[in-house]
Amino acid sequence: MPSTWWTRKRHYVLYMLREFTAVPMAAWLLWFLVEIKRAGDGPARYNPHESTAFVIFSVVCFAFATYHSYTFLNLAGVIMRVKLMGRTVPPRVVVLTMFSLWAVASIVIAAVLIGFAR
Amino acid sequence: MAEKRITIQATRFDPDKDSAPRLQSYDIPFSDDSMVVLDALNYIKAHVDGSLSYRWSCRMGICGSCGMMVNGTPKLSCSAFLRDYWPRAVIVQPLNNFPIIRDLVIDMDDFMHKLKSVQPWIIRKQQLPLGAGEHRQTTAQIDEFKQFSQCINCMLCYSACPVYGLNNEFLGPAAIALARRYNLDSRDQGLTKRLPVIADNEGVWECSFVGECSVVCPKGVDPAKAIQQTKLDTTLRFTLPYGNRE
Repeated sequence: MPSTWWTRKRHYVLYMLREFTAVPMAAWLLWFLVEIKRAGDGPARYNPHESTAFVIFSVVCFAFATYHSYTFLNLAGVIMRVKLMGRTVPPRVVVLTMFSLWAVASIVIAAVLIGFAR
Repeated sequence: MAEKRITIQATRFDPDKDSAPRLQSYDIPFSDDSMVVLDALNYIKAHVDGSLSYRWSCRMGICGSCGMMVNGTPKLSCSAFLRDYWPRAVIVQPLNNFPIIRDLVIDMDDFMHKLKSVQPWIIRKQQLPLGAGEHRQTTAQIDEFKQFSQCINCMLCYSACPVYGLNNEFLGPAAIALARRYNLDSRDQGLTKRLPVIADNEGVWECSFVGECSVVCPKGVDPAKAIQQTKLDTTLRFTLPYGNRE
């Protein structure tokens, strides 16, 4: 197979994009570790919102992370076979539940982080 | 009114004469909107070039014999309507990821070997005595595996799978879907016999959920679903207490 096999179809391109999302997320986590180290050196050394590059990079990585989560949760209905009272829960309900849990978890974590920041 | 015509470009390859496959063009009448690619190939063979080789049988989408690449997509040639491509040329090539025997005919030995390895039949620890009658199943029990039983072994999924294209050792979508069909069948008791094959590195774990197999499947089997559900089930069997239960 040629190395450009994934360019043949839109579905393959989206698949490669999905798989690629792990790279910027890993890179962001490494950079985040650097920021944590700087935070350990005291508030004078730590001002991440003044590092324009980190903010821009974070926004880009956030887009990749969102796409990663969206594709993963969208497929949950395919992967999980949930039975309730002997009947199979429709895949759409599983997906809706996953997205709802994602939204709730995001709100809770955001509230905690903002609360700590204040 | 001028007769409507269509160009078919078909792969020609004679291993005794040719060093590589090539495309040969045929300009044929497109007389009927219900014509499919298989009709075009049959016309070519009957009226233009009798040496063109290809597989076909039922011509109604149930035998799985006529799988080919039609304009780069794996399709059953009996279900690919010319009207969906006209006036563009229709490029017909042998299924991707399989060695070519001749023209549009591929060597399916690897698939047959993989299919056999998952033991796609009812396995019983002990047969019921004849006097006990037939195995009875409720509609709900049949619904558990019915979707995966629709596979016609056409190999379009193998052709669409880039993982199989990159690594021929991969067990593949159809074999895993059929293994799941039998594992979910209430009459079957052969799960532990199939596990070493399907839960292997070259089994379900080689799949990275591209999902194209389910897109091209002409019978709605959804082999991608079968593979991901098998991954989850085998993991739970391994991790949960009493995971090695029968």
